[in-house]
Amino acid sequence: MIHSLFLINNGGDLFLEKHWKSVISRSVCDYFFEAREKAVEPDNVPPVIRTPHHYLINIYREKIFFVSVIQTEVPPLFVIEFLHRVAETFQDYFGECSETTIKDNVVIVYELLEEMLDNGFPLATESNILKELIRPPTILRSVVNTITGSSNVGETLPTGQLSTIPWRRAGVKYTNNEAYFDVVEEIDAILDKSGTTVFAEIQGVVDACVKLSGMPDLTLSFMNPRLLDDVSFHPCVRYKRWESERVISFIPPDGNFQLMSYHISAQNLVAIPVYVKQNISFFETGSSGRLDITVGPKQTMGKTVECLVVTVHMPKVVLSANLNATQGTYNYDPVTKILVWDIGKLNPQKFPNLKGSLSLQSGAPKPEENPSLNIDLKIQQLAISGLKVNRLDMYGEKYKPFKGVKYVTKAGKFQVRT
Amino acid sequence: MNILDDMGAPEEPTMPYFGSEETVKELKRALSNPHVQADRLRYKNYITKVIRYMTQGLDVSALFMDMVKASATVDIVQKKLVYLYMCTYASDKPDLALLAINTLRKDCADPNPMVRGLALRNMCNFRMPGMPEYIEQPIVAGLRDKASYVRRVAVLGCAKMHSLQPNTDIDGSIVNELYALLRDPDPVVLVNCLRALEEILKDEGGVVINKPIAHHLLNRMKDLDSWAQSEVLTFLLRYRPRSDDELFDILSLLDAFLQSAHAHVAVATLRLFLHLASAHPAVQADALLRTSAPLLATCGAASRELRFAGLCHVQQVMRSQPGLFATHYKRFFCGYSEPSYIKFRKMEILVELVNDENVALVLEELRSYCTDVSPELAQAAIAAIGRIARTYSEKCLDILTGLLALKQDHITSAVIQTFRDLVWFCPQSTAAVCQTVEACVDNPQDSEGKQALLWLLGEHGEQISSAPYVMEGYIDGLKTELSSAVKMELLSASVKMFLCRPAETQDMLGRLLHYYIEEESDMCVRDRALLYYRVLQRGVEETRKVVTGPKSDPSMSVLTGRQEEPISLWASTFNTLGPLSGWDLCLQTAVISASEPSGSAENELLPGSTDVTLSSPNDTQEEISLSLGPPLSHETFEKMWLDLEILHRQTLGFPRPKTAPDTLQAALQLVKIQTLAFTPGDAVPWKAYLYTRGTGTLILAELLQEDPDAPDSEGSLVVSVKQQPGNQQTIRGFVLILKSVLQTLNVDPL
Repeated sequence: MIHSLFLINNGGDLFLEKHWKSVISRSVCDYFFEAREKAVEPDNVPPVIRTPHHYLINIYREKIFFVSVIQTEVPPLFVIEFLHRVAETFQDYFGECSETTIKDNVVIVYELLEEMLDNGFPLATESNILKELIRPPTILRSVVNTITGSSNVGETLPTGQLSTIPWRRAGVKYTNNEAYFDVVEEIDAILDKSGTTVFAEIQGVVDACVKLSGMPDLTLSFMNPRLLDDVSFHPCVRYKRWESERVISFIPPDGNFQLMSYHISAQNLVAIPVYVKQNISFFETGSSGRLDITVGPKQTMGKTVECLVVTVHMPKVVLSANLNATQGTYNYDPVTKILVWDIGKLNPQKFPNLKGSLSLQSGAPKPEENPSLNIDLKIQQLAISGLKVNRLDMYGEKYKPFKGVKYVTKAGKFQVRT
Repeated sequence: MNILDDMGAPEEPTMPYFGSEETVKELKRALSNPHVQADRLRYKNYITKVIRYMTQGLDVSALFMDMVKASATVDIVQKKLVYLYMCTYASDKPDLALLAINTLRKDCADPNPMVRGLALRNMCNFRMPGMPEYIEQPIVAGLRDKASYVRRVAVLGCAKMHSLQPNTDIDGSIVNELYALLRDPDPVVLVNCLRALEEILKDEGGVVINKPIAHHLLNRMKDLDSWAQSEVLTFLLRYRPRSDDELFDILSLLDAFLQSAHAHVAVATLRLFLHLASAHPAVQADALLRTSAPLLATCGAASRELRFAGLCHVQQVMRSQPGLFATHYKRFFCGYSEPSYIKFRKMEILVELVNDENVALVLEELRSYCTDVSPELAQAAIAAIGRIARTYSEKCLDILTGLLALKQDHITSAVIQTFRDLVWFCPQSTAAVCQTVEACVDNPQDSEGKQALLWLLGEHGEQISSAPYVMEGYIDGLKTELSSAVKMELLSASVKMFLCRPAETQDMLGRLLHYYIEEESDMCVRDRALLYYRVLQRGVEETRKVVTGPKSDPSMSVLTGRQEEPISLWASTFNTLGPLSGWDLCLQTAVISASEPSGSAENELLPGSTDVTLSSPNDTQEEISLSLGPPLSHETFEKMWLDLEILHRQTLGFPRPKTAPDTLQAALQLVKIQTLAFTPGDAVPWKAYLYTRGTGTLILAELLQEDPDAPDSEGSLVVSVKQQPGNQQTIRGFVLILKSVLQTLNVDPL
């Protein structure tokens, strides 16, 4: 299925290769490099490239191309999702998925790739099973290993392989029994010049961290489950009960996992937490322009907006920016033409404002299109859709677990047109 | 040397290819040093170092002997490292690798299942001749191992073993054992069995899915991980339920998977649904409706590659149900920072889902893309508006006219090209377009734009009062024109304009013909000029008959307009690589480009040539009409040929016609059968591949003639026909036509 994997960095260096069947020469990547060159920007490389004898399916993540070589017909979504799973596993193991960490941990990387695929077929991809096969590196453990010479491999087979429920290992024991749920919502929105919503939707996930002994059977219910019109669940959730009673009933995997994801696309339900008043204009003469951006709270349900960042991709002719920010700091990178205004916490009394002039390349024609603004933000203790967890009940075990729910709202692809 | 020195290794060799001999020598010395070997930690660090060099591309195969020795250890990580090393170099050093096999075979009997599995897996990964005899016994033992981990490895090992000796007979006992292991309690073993059988039995059509196996797989579905689910769903495509009751039982079992959290499972389920329920359109429609939510979710996924794949699938679904996503049109608006391959797809989708309610907003949105920084995107957006204009011409013309005012070269050119196509498809917009073209002051600079403008001027010169002056500008600058396509178009346009406005054009047409006949170095252009010259010599009326044709083809808009295609047309490529890598798209654009007036003079010179109705030479009782339709590429043909089954095979009873290949091809084309390829000359066996379309089906055919001198052949042509979708009557008609053509050719003394 997946014949080989090549990791290629942004500069075009091939720094890791793994073959699950016969070795395929690196020269197959030439087709990829050709496409890479044609695409100019690394973002623009098409995910599926056809070559005379193979298909190359690639994903681009954290400045690394994961290029897989395929020889037979496969479902494309399958491969793309698998490659993302590989990248996520690296992130999970090493804290970040970058060229440096992969090179530093090359031995573990090979061990992981060996366990994740055999003969090109996905084998073990669940993080909590992999972690029993190959223990992730930690600073403490690597020091201990150096001194004692012990290894980072589980000496015994994962017990999960023997349990009747494939996602949970048998005989789990904790002294503190706890279950935490994070409701994370991302707002994807496009606002037009006047601030009207062109498009808005919420992508939500419920991440869980469950450390409970034995075989607990949990039931999670929401105050307002009707909000969710498009949900998908972890395989452990009993779908029939959701359909009939709108409660989530499941035997959880051990440790961290994503319980469910959902979409809310009805636009009247999507609150837009901030408004942006902006005016970016370029003058016909004099090679200059003006910029004036103000950000203020709109529908925040009384919570504070944090980590507010405004990013503007300026047209190529903008040479420099001379601006004045009433709050936060701004930075204009003349090479990438990206203006980043890091505001931080949004002050509800005095709205932050960024104002000043832009200087353009002299003689160049005035840009025909104004740049769009990308907004990044975070609101703690709030799920912007209004989704609320009602209660969590546990059956099947006697002890009393510690339970907690956290809400966070973030900006996903949040864009303001000018 | 202390321990810390050994560990700071990776940074030292910045250039692995230089001084590599020194490095290898040093490592060899260290690995064979008994003091190092005694210190477990130092020893392992050296081994790690070897692996690092290996992954950087340095040839460390010279250390093979030392590494084999290092495999005798209790440390699993060290074992893994050494195995990795051995797998990499085993094929280069087969004689040395044999030494390692003993250690590996011993590990296969280790009490720790992890060691057993590891050893077995790596032993199977040694790619060198002679391996099978060493691994067969451990694999068979592994199949019966009590640890599922080892069984998983052993099952795939069977496939690896088979691939090492591809030409030998299939070992029946192993195949039987694998089929039996489908009942294994471990779900991964089950799926691995399918995977292994599929590889081993590839030449026999892959693993057989009969009723008990199919039902067993369906019952185990919920235990499998998502990857396995997706693969099992693909395998189940081979199974045909016996009765409707069974079919609906299967569908209700699979129902929950339509809304799986994993897009690839949902899409694979949908494909199976469409395939199984091909006789129940209502079930298909319901499945499409229910998968629309997960598909839309994929289109909004965080990963751009997933989004792209989602869009491609939506595009396919829309071929049959254009209305399904119409209310969600805002999901297909482009984000500023999205890669262009996503934006292109989104625009194509927007064009398809336009309806009366959303047209205003969709056009507004597309308009804003027309000024995109990337010229390709801007032009695609303009072309998209042009497509919508075929239904909503007034609104679109306003937008397009507004774009001309921007005076950007690439935008002007794209708008003019869009106008040309629009006039061809919707004659009612001609007056408005001509008015706009007249008012447009700056002319396009690139050759496609110029061709489009010239075509408009020539074809509709009588409605554009300034046409001769614009044309004169081009004729005055003809020496600087480089593109021969533009030159050709200039010629055709001038001649056409001469016919409707002779007084203003005569002088410059004369200059143009003179220059092209006397001084032009491009032979094609020169010949075309001569042709027009000779035609003009026959008189104006004669010329008019030859040159002018229909100015538009409203019937085309019926063809290219949104038509609900049957699901079976695309279901076979759903969830495959084709639509994502573009060949499916090529097919679609081929349909469009074939129907577009590319301004080629061949079409105009033969007015109505496309309408000539051809009946088969000796009219057969069964009236079927064949048509050529859009051309089929070799790859598409080959793929379909391999995918489809032979529906009809017939010995024609006479040898192949001994005519020149060109004659055969031309004769077949006359009855609208296209020849794709044939064996050159008199080589035997002689083969030819043909295709045609008739009554909504695509017919593929192969003509085969064996060696006439061969003992068991009658030297007669054999025709094999494949068809999609099947229709026996069309096949009969096709064979009759084909037969009569070939017979006619055989008789004709050419």
